[in-house]
Amino acid sequence: MNLLESQGLTRRFGGLVAVDVVSFGVQEGEIFGLIGPNGAGKTTLFNLMTGLIPPSAGRLIYKGEDITNRRPYQIAQLGIARTFQNIRLFGTLSALENVMIARHLHTKAGVLQGVFGLSPAPQEEKITYQRATELLDLVGLADRAEQKARNFSYGDQRRLEIARALALEPKVLLLDEPAAGMNQNEKHNLSDFIRRLRAQFNLTIVLIEHYVPLVMGLCDRIAVLNFGKLIALGAPEAVQNDPAVIEAYLGD
Amino acid sequence: MNQSSTNTNLARAFTIGAILAVVLLIVRYSQVRGSVVVLMAINAVLALSLYLPLMTGQLSLASPGFYAIGGYIAAIFSTKVFTNVGTPFPIPLIIVEMAISAAVCGFVAVLVGIPALRLRGIYLALATIALVEILRVAALNLEITGGAVGIFGIPQPFATIASLEYLYIAVPLLLFSMFFVARLEQSRVGRAFAALREDELAANAMGINPTYFKVLSFALGAMLAGVAGALAGHFLNTWNARQGTFDASILILAYVLVGGSRTFIGPVLGAALLSALPELLRDLGDISGIPAWLVSFFKDGRLIIFGMLIAAGAYFFPYGLITPEIFRRRKRELTPRALNKAAVQEGKSHL
Repeated sequence: MNLLESQGLTRRFGGLVAVDVVSFGVQEGEIFGLIGPNGAGKTTLFNLMTGLIPPSAGRLIYKGEDITNRRPYQIAQLGIARTFQNIRLFGTLSALENVMIARHLHTKAGVLQGVFGLSPAPQEEKITYQRATELLDLVGLADRAEQKARNFSYGDQRRLEIARALALEPKVLLLDEPAAGMNQNEKHNLSDFIRRLRAQFNLTIVLIEHYVPLVMGLCDRIAVLNFGKLIALGAPEAVQNDPAVIEAYLGD
Repeated sequence: MNQSSTNTNLARAFTIGAILAVVLLIVRYSQVRGSVVVLMAINAVLALSLYLPLMTGQLSLASPGFYAIGGYIAAIFSTKVFTNVGTPFPIPLIIVEMAISAAVCGFVAVLVGIPALRLRGIYLALATIALVEILRVAALNLEITGGAVGIFGIPQPFATIASLEYLYIAVPLLLFSMFFVARLEQSRVGRAFAALREDELAANAMGINPTYFKVLSFALGAMLAGVAGALAGHFLNTWNARQGTFDASILILAYVLVGGSRTFIGPVLGAALLSALPELLRDLGDISGIPAWLVSFFKDGRLIIFGMLIAAGAYFFPYGLITPEIFRRRKRELTPRALNKAAVQEGKSHL
């Protein structure tokens, strides 16, 4: 059964059709790759799937429920978390604060409870701090928890974004080019890391990636976009040998 | 030493200077003109009321509008409702008026905030200026607010008008407001505010409802401004449509900008300094041996000097006198050891 499903999602920007009637389903527990040349509409599709921009047509289905016009925070509440291609950390805040912020949905304290330290604020603060520290440890940033996010290297910022997304305790994790800015060694380790995440947190993972070896080795299934259209969908080997995919990547 | 730590040291020096100046000003004016010190405290609360929406990145200049509402509530209740309570006017009733002001201002802020906070940046600022103007014109024309004349003879809780004793109310109020904001910043709601300020879209994707928290910060600021207004109503003894106008919007903004908008200490210090500035200039004019034209400039050109200081502050201290960096311990600065440690970490691959 499909956990997350795009039913003919379409997005037009003026005359440009960035995402053109794209339909596919992501199954629970799989690692699903989304690839395509630059400007194929991958990030736009991610933005549609997280409610950042509304679709021009089509529907977004999660667990059989139509969630097409939900706001981003409502989609996050359902358990869909993401990272951003152009990193969007809270730059002047510390790494720890960045992750603690993302525990928002798992805490309830209002203004008065927070200010006067009334229940449940103190317990929540303790757990929030604990979980955030654990997640920073998981991505290897625990010893720099107090440093400002914007002072981190590009690769570390990507790791921090993953920790922040995990703090939402999502069921589906959307990773937008997680390997960008990482060196060969880090890219190699990233595959293992993503698999470990899936196992440890019971995740379904959708990822956009340009680095083809990573995608081929990691993903259970791959969807290929070109000029906004879905041109191939299937297992890595099948997609790799698809003539339409080869043409899209190599040109005519 | 590198450039940034030199700058930090310079900033620390200025901060210490500013704090010393405030202490000296308080000592001086508590002797001769107590009203200045009370105004410093009330204005500091107003500066915090502008700082609260700023925590979510919303520049709202509506504080004077809510300050005016608070003042009218105090004026109307103390002259028309709480009559026959004897003299001096009981302080608990002032606190009741403050609570009513907070409730009314919070309610108005939610009503106004839901549509207004769809605007951003300068457009939101303009909308909030419009709100201040609407309230001013309404106060000028309504009967209950006393029209253009306003409301006179607001009862005093102390023996004399504009007494230094008002500090017994103003200082606890300021301390409570500072405590409130400081604690809020360390709480779940404060983190949501900071996330919205840093990157609204990313905060939204992290499950934070932007409208809810922006309206909340706006309403909290409005409540604080209303409470300050209720106290100011008694303190100034009279309340009319000249209180809480657009001029006040700019002054309060100046408190926050000069003091520093990234930590709650900044607005408080900025308000204390700038509230005392006109009096300080008046004193300067009294020093003998100063040419007559300079004396008259100090006396009549106070607002010009005020404006120049704001401009100079924006140029030399774009982040205000107080920045979060100066509270950070020195170990975070780039010592050779820290650099070495960072280099070791770069080499480690964690994934």
